[in-house]
Amino acid sequence: MHLGMWNSIAIVLGFSFFVIFLDEYVVKPWRHKKWERLAASGDKEAERLLNMARSAKVSDE
Amino acid sequence: MALDYEVPRDKRLLYWLGDKLIEYRHPVSVVVIIVTALFAYWGFQLQLVTSFGDLLPQDHPYIKIHNRYSGTFGGANNINVMIQVKEGSIFTVETLNKIWKMTEGLDKVYGVNHNQIDSIAHRTVRYLKVAAGGTMRAQPVMLEPVKTAEEAANIRRIVHNAENIYGLLVSLDDKAALIRANFIEGRLDYKRIFTEVNENVVAPFSDATTEVFVAGEPRLYGWVYNYAGDVFFILVITWCIEWVLRWQYFHDWRGALRPTITGVIAAFWGLGFIHLIGLALDPLMLVMPFLITARAVSHAIQMHDRYYEEFEKSGWHKRRAIVAAFGELFVPTLSGITADAFGVLVILLVPVVMLQKLAITASWWILAITISEMLLNPIVYYYLKPPEPELVVMRERGSFRKGINWFTGRLLTTRGRAMTVVLWLAATLVAFYFMRGLTIGDPTAASPLLWLDSPYNVSHKAIQDKFGGVEPLIVVAEGYDKDAMKDPGALRNMERFQRYLERDPSIGYSFSLADIIRAVNMVFHELEPKWGVIPDNWVDVGGLFFIYFSGSPPTETAKYVDPSYTTAHVTFFCKDHKGENIRRIIKECKEFISGTQIEDLGITLTTGQDDAVVIKTVAAEPIWEKAGPSWVVGSQASGDAPFKPGDRIVAVGKAPVKNEAEFRTALAAEAGHTTLLDFKIERGGQSLESTVGAPWKAVFKLAGGLVGTLAAANEELVKNDVLMNFLGFFTMYMIMLFTYRSFAAGLYLLAPLALSNIMVNGYMAANDIGVNIHTLPLVTVGLGFGIDYGLYIVSRTIEEIRVRGSLEDSVREALETSGKAVTFTAVTMVISTVFWTTSHIRFNAEMGLLLAIWMAISYVGSQTLTPVLIVLFKPRFIMREANRSPDLTSMTAQRAAR
Repeated sequence: MHLGMWNSIAIVLGFSFFVIFLDEYVVKPWRHKKWERLAASGDKEAERLLNMARSAKVSDE
Repeated sequence: MALDYEVPRDKRLLYWLGDKLIEYRHPVSVVVIIVTALFAYWGFQLQLVTSFGDLLPQDHPYIKIHNRYSGTFGGANNINVMIQVKEGSIFTVETLNKIWKMTEGLDKVYGVNHNQIDSIAHRTVRYLKVAAGGTMRAQPVMLEPVKTAEEAANIRRIVHNAENIYGLLVSLDDKAALIRANFIEGRLDYKRIFTEVNENVVAPFSDATTEVFVAGEPRLYGWVYNYAGDVFFILVITWCIEWVLRWQYFHDWRGALRPTITGVIAAFWGLGFIHLIGLALDPLMLVMPFLITARAVSHAIQMHDRYYEEFEKSGWHKRRAIVAAFGELFVPTLSGITADAFGVLVILLVPVVMLQKLAITASWWILAITISEMLLNPIVYYYLKPPEPELVVMRERGSFRKGINWFTGRLLTTRGRAMTVVLWLAATLVAFYFMRGLTIGDPTAASPLLWLDSPYNVSHKAIQDKFGGVEPLIVVAEGYDKDAMKDPGALRNMERFQRYLERDPSIGYSFSLADIIRAVNMVFHELEPKWGVIPDNWVDVGGLFFIYFSGSPPTETAKYVDPSYTTAHVTFFCKDHKGENIRRIIKECKEFISGTQIEDLGITLTTGQDDAVVIKTVAAEPIWEKAGPSWVVGSQASGDAPFKPGDRIVAVGKAPVKNEAEFRTALAAEAGHTTLLDFKIERGGQSLESTVGAPWKAVFKLAGGLVGTLAAANEELVKNDVLMNFLGFFTMYMIMLFTYRSFAAGLYLLAPLALSNIMVNGYMAANDIGVNIHTLPLVTVGLGFGIDYGLYIVSRTIEEIRVRGSLEDSVREALETSGKAVTFTAVTMVISTVFWTTSHIRFNAEMGLLLAIWMAISYVGSQTLTPVLIVLFKPRFIMREANRSPDLTSMTAQRAAR
C-alpha cells in the first residue's frame, strides 16, 4: 500500500484509539488483577502499595 | 480555587501563573484552539519545494559569476542522458533514431534551455563541411532521422573526425552517446522534469538491446522528491512505536496522548508559520520537523512524569499536582526551549538561504512549544481525568525504575566515578583519532544525497565510467573589450589553461573556444594536423570564426562565445565532486590564472625578508612605454620599465601585499575589475606608485557549473563550520549563565556535549560523511537538544540539595527521578530520528542517524559524566543551595496580611 498523508493520518489515529481501547478494557484490568494476585500471594510491598493506593482520596478539583 | 496552600516562596509567581491558567482555562483554550486551527489550515497547504539557488551562498564571488553566465554558458543544472548499446555500436539506424527521438523528447521537457542541448541529434551540434567550390559551412551532424545503413556509416565518419563530438558526446568505443541538456534555473520544477524525462526519454527507449542512464542535478532532486513519501512510512512507524512506549512507561493511555497533543499543536504552529511567511518544506530537511516534534514530546514527558510525582506528594490533589509540576519544571523547560530555539537561530549567520530559512522556521517551531507545552499543559491536565493512585504507586515497582536505581547506585561509587571519567577520556581520544579524516564537502564521487546503489548513483557512475567526467567547472574568460576572444593571446591562454588543468587526475576532459578554432583551422587546411593550431593574428581568427558560426543563430553560438566576442569560457568536465578534489582543482586554477598574469607582466618573483614579494627578474618582453602617467605595452624599447629587479611590491590596487600568496590574490582581483593596475613599489628605500596597463585582453574568472558552485559552498562551509561550533557553544553557555547565575554551570553542562560533538565528527570521518551544507546545522541543533537532558538533572539536583543537604544524595535522587524521565525521553528522541535510517534518501538517513548518535551520546554524558563531575568537583552553583529549603508561603495568607 502506498502511504500518503491522509491514509497515514488515518492509520495513526486508528492505532491511537486502539491503544486507548486496549488500555481501558484489557491492560488496566489485567494489571489490577496481577497486583491483587501479587498481594494475595504474600508480597508485602505489593500489599502495602495497594493498600496505600486504595486508601487514597483523589481530589479532582 | 485560589492558592490557599503553602508553596515555595521563590516560585510563588510560577505557582500563581499555573493556577491562573487553570482558572482561565476556557478563554485560553478557545484562543489556542482558534489560532492552532488557523495554523493547521495553513500547514495543510504546505508544499515540498527545493530551490537550487537557496543552496548556494549568493554573496560568494563564484556564485555571482555563475549567476551572471549560467544562462548562456550553462549552469549547474544539467541533465546527462547516456544511451548505451549492449552489443555492437550506436551507429545503426535503430540506435541513431532512438538518439534522435530521445533528443527531441528531452527538448520538450519543461524548463529545458533549448539552445543548450548537446547531442549528435541536436541542431546546435555541428561539424564543418567543405562544399563544392571550396566553400565551408557548419551544419548539424543529424538533420533528420536516419533511413539507411549508409547514412549511419556517414554519421560515424563525421563523429570520428569531429574533435568537439568524439569522446565528448559519443564514447571512444562507439557504444554510448551522451545527450546533455541545461535547465533554466528559474524554471526548475524537479518533480515535473523527473516525470517528463521518464516519460519522454527513458521508458520508451530502454529495451533488451539498449540501456538508458540519467544523471545530473535536476534528476538527483527529482529522485529526492520521488523518495519524499518515505516521510509517511516513518511517521506511521514512529508514531505507533512512540505511543506504545509512552503507554507502557506511564501505564496509562493519557501518558501517550498528552505529549502527542503538545507535539501536534507545535507541529501545526510550525508548519503553518512556514507557509505563512511564504516558505516551503525542503524534502532534504524533513528530519528536522521530526526532531523538533520529538523535542516537544520530550518536554511533555518530563512534565507528565513530574505530574505523577506531584500527584502522590500532594495527597492525590489533581490541581495542586498540576500547579506544582508546572512551577517546578518551568525554569528547566523554558531554559531548554530557549536553548533549542537560539541554538538553531545561530544558523541564520550562514549566508545560505536554505539554512537561513531553516533557522527562522525551526526557531519559531521550537518557540511554539512554549505555547503547546507550558501554556496549555496545566489546562490539558485539568481537563483530563487524573491517573488512578494504584497506577501511580505500582508504576514505581517497574523494572525500568529498578534498572535506573541499580545503575545510579553503581555510577556513584568510587569505582563507578573513576570508570566513567576513564571511559569518556578513552572514547574522546578514539574519536579525536578518527576526526582527523573529516572532510569538507563530499568525500565520495557519488551523490551523498542518495545511497550508492540507488538508480541515480548507478547511472551517475555508468556515465562517469564511459565519458570520464560529466560534472562541469566553468571558468569564464571575460574580455575587457569586444572582440577580445579573437585575440590569439587570449585563445592560447585558454588552450594552455586546458592543458595545465587536464594534468589533474580529477579532470576528465575540457572544452573551449580554442578547440573550435583549432578544429576549424585544420578543416580549412584539408584536415592536415599541423594546421590544428591557433592562428597568429586576430584577422585569421576572426575569419575562421566567421566560417564556423556564420550559419548559426546567436542563440546557438552564445553557448561558446557571446555575440560581441567579448566573453567565452573554458569548461572542465570533472570526474567527481569530492571536496578535496574540488579544493585542489580550484587552487590549481588560481595558480594558473595568477601565474600567467605574472608571466604576462614579464616578471619573476622571489621572496625577500619577512616573506616580502620581491621582483627577481624582468623579461625583455613585453616592451613597456609611457603613455601619460601609465605604462602600456609598446613596440619600441624605451629602456625603461615599470618594474626593476629588486623592487619590493607592497600593494596592488588598494590591497596591501605581505607575501606571494597575497600578491597573487590581489593581482587576480585587481585585474578582474580594471585594465589599469596600480602597484605600490619600494625601490632603493623609496616608495613609488606605478600604473600599468594590463598586457592581456581577457581575464579568467571563477567559477560556474556544479563544481564551481560546490567550490563556493565548500569555501563558505570552512568559514562557517568553526563559526557554527563557536556560536553554538557560546549561545548555550550564555543561556546556562543566566539560568543558574553561574559561570561554571555552562562548563558542567557543555562538557558532555563537546565530547558528543567530537565523537559525532569522528563517526562522520570514519563513515565518509563530509561536512556539507546539510550537515552544517547538525552541531547547533544537536547542542540545543542535547543540553536539555543535563538541564533537567542539574535543576533537580539543586532542588534536592535544598532539602537534603548532601550533594551525593541529591545527585542520586535527581538521577532516579528526573534521570528516569530523561532516559525515557532520550529513548523516544533516538527512536524518532533513528527510523530515518530506513529512508531511501541517504542524506536524511545519515542526518537521522547522526542526530540519533548526538542524542544518545549527549544523553549518556548527561546521565554519567555530568553527575560524576558534579560529585567530584562540588560546584559552587549547586553547593551554595545546600540546606536552603525554600520558605513556604501561602498566597491567601499574604493577601490577608496585606
